Amino acid sequence: MTGYIVRRVGVAVILLWVLSVITFAIYLTVPQDPAGFLVDIQHASPAQIAHAHHLLGTDRPALVQYGKYMGRLVHGDFGISWATISFFGGSAQGSPVGRLVWQASLVTGSLVLGGFVLLLLIAVPLGTFVATRPRSFVDRLSLGLSVAAISTHPLVVGLLLQLFVGNRWKLMPASGYCTISRPSDAAVKAFQQFGVTGAPPPCGGLGQWAWHLVLPWITFALFFVALYTRIIRARMLEVLEEPWVRTARAKGASEFRVVRSHALRNAIAPVVTMTAMDAGTAIGIAMYIETVFGLPGLGRTMIRALAGLQGYDLPVILAVTLVAAAAIIVLNLLADIVLLAIDPTVARRGRGGLSRLVGRSA
Amino acid sequence: MGRVRSGARAELTASVGIVDDGVDVNAPRAQGQWALAWRRFKRDRVAVGCAVFLLLLVFAVGPGAPLYGKLVGHGPNDFFPYAVSVGLRPAGPFTVTYATHEVAGDDPYALKHPPPPKGTGKTLLLLGADSSLGRDEFMRVLYGGRVSLEVAAGAAVVAILLGMLLGALAGYFGGWVDAVISRFTDLVMAFPLLLFLVMIGSLFSYGLTRWTFHGALNQGVFQLIVIIGAFTWFYPARIVRAQIQSLRNREFVEAAQMVGARDTRIVRTHLLPHVVPPLLAYGTLLVATNIMIEVGVTFLGAGIKLPTASWGSLLAQTWGSILNPNPYNPATTQPWLTLCPSIAIFLTVFALNQFGEGLREATDPRSVR
Repeated sequence: MTGYIVRRVGVAVILLWVLSVITFAIYLTVPQDPAGFLVDIQHASPAQIAHAHHLLGTDRPALVQYGKYMGRLVHGDFGISWATISFFGGSAQGSPVGRLVWQASLVTGSLVLGGFVLLLLIAVPLGTFVATRPRSFVDRLSLGLSVAAISTHPLVVGLLLQLFVGNRWKLMPASGYCTISRPSDAAVKAFQQFGVTGAPPPCGGLGQWAWHLVLPWITFALFFVALYTRIIRARMLEVLEEPWVRTARAKGASEFRVVRSHALRNAIAPVVTMTAMDAGTAIGIAMYIETVFGLPGLGRTMIRALAGLQGYDLPVILAVTLVAAAAIIVLNLLADIVLLAIDPTVARRGRGGLSRLVGRSA
Repeated sequence: MGRVRSGARAELTASVGIVDDGVDVNAPRAQGQWALAWRRFKRDRVAVGCAVFLLLLVFAVGPGAPLYGKLVGHGPNDFFPYAVSVGLRPAGPFTVTYATHEVAGDDPYALKHPPPPKGTGKTLLLLGADSSLGRDEFMRVLYGGRVSLEVAAGAAVVAILLGMLLGALAGYFGGWVDAVISRFTDLVMAFPLLLFLVMIGSLFSYGLTRWTFHGALNQGVFQLIVIIGAFTWFYPARIVRAQIQSLRNREFVEAAQMVGARDTRIVRTHLLPHVVPPLLAYGTLLVATNIMIEVGVTFLGAGIKLPTASWGSLLAQTWGSILNPNPYNPATTQPWLTLCPSIAIFLTVFALNQFGEGLREATDPRSVR
């Protein structure tokens, strides 16, 4: 078992390294002149452009750049966002990419985690309920709905929810994000004094945070709920046939108790690990939802960096890609280990490499 | 089955009336796998309905769109300012508007457009105007559907071909070929797909966007086909690899090897035909997924560029773009501008999914129907 875990961790580390090489290769081949972030390329002299390259470090050989990049990466330093960079007295000033990406992953994290909680809150009771009444009206209805749900684009759901619930009926906030911590008094005061007309006031706190995330969570959950309901139903139908369930019934346990304590407990464990395996899909879906609802998460951060006016903000783009890929790899690894703890035969069966990552595409 | 072609034998069997070509005529005729599949498919009413819908759709976005354009007399990129109110609210469905690109009069404070000069023709906007530019929403949905379907089907073909090639190599030769291809597959599948599509779509958008094959495709379509195809071939590759691995050691392959058939011939004529039915079904599902991907990538600003319509850009029309989302203003938007492309996307993806599912069940020899 330890050997299995060590091997899996080794594979994950190699995968991460290869990913860093690939992202860096993209970084080197992108057709743009990064000097544009420091000087006006059309009017600057060649010496000024060369100096800008020197300051950004993009004039060195590729291998040296990669070495420096990896050296900083190992220390958790992603560099400084090119869109905000400037040089005073020879040292680079600007927002560090690490902090940007950390804040963005908090947003994406709240979206994805909350979405999965909401999803399980719907799918587990529903899947259990239809499993106890197979081929009933509710069962067929849930099947039909799930077929429709699989064919619905999350963008469509998000845009329609935003348009009708948020904008036309004004039941919920249509866009924007509130931090989970309260805004500082200084920020509120600054808004009252210098607030731009039309800009939203700084908001925060648990209630506001959840209230602004309701529509994104619903959009997220609707994408997955059909699939999870079907899987829980199938697992439950399987488990309900098991001998221990029959034993529990024979001993006179109530049907509710049989379903809850004997069947559901066994049916649900693989489902929880499945959520980790859907992390890749979830990040893709989160990208749509962040864009529609204006949440400053990972996906939106990257798209803004891609669409910037001065050029592509490559340090941000690379950091987001690496962090997202790392999250997916680590979550899959955790899922494998948890699965192993539940079912020790997995290691002996030896799932080759990363075959768990075979999921659905987003 | 060796068919006896000798005339005497045929005469003899015909006179006896029991055996014909060595087969009992009273027994049901053996049917090919495609005939069987067709019989099974016909019984699935939902799948047949979806197939009919898809045929109609392909006709509508293919030859139907220019025909309709001839009928109403304008194209998808013509704008009609009379279909937009002075307050910039686009007209609703079933609007008949003046077929002119200019508004008469130059009073900036007018509450209504002044009527155009006498003799100006009229034209029909079936689903109304698409935005403050006043283009024909229905035609844009048709032409956008053409672009989206081209991208989706083209990328599916690319993915299936690539997947078939690499899957067959990995499955047939095994060993280090299999190891290399499988590890590569694992690696690329660990990528967050959409993130990479958007990144590569916008970072490398210079060379391939201009490939239109003499106007056969719109700008940007070929690039999206290549990118999406290059990131979705793993699933077909895995299907092919698994199937060929399970068939590789069967007797008919051994027999072919024994009579001296080359590897390419064995793979092509003995193994790949077994893979075609599941791949066809999977390809249909892949087209559905690719439509979703095209819509998403274009919405996120990395796909088809305006003014070319695609379902993704139509969906983004009222919403705006990532750098300047349109603030919601009930005076200048109409909900059906979001609803029209939404319904088109939903119906198409739904039909493709159901059709693919029906195809999969019909071509599966273990199917009970």
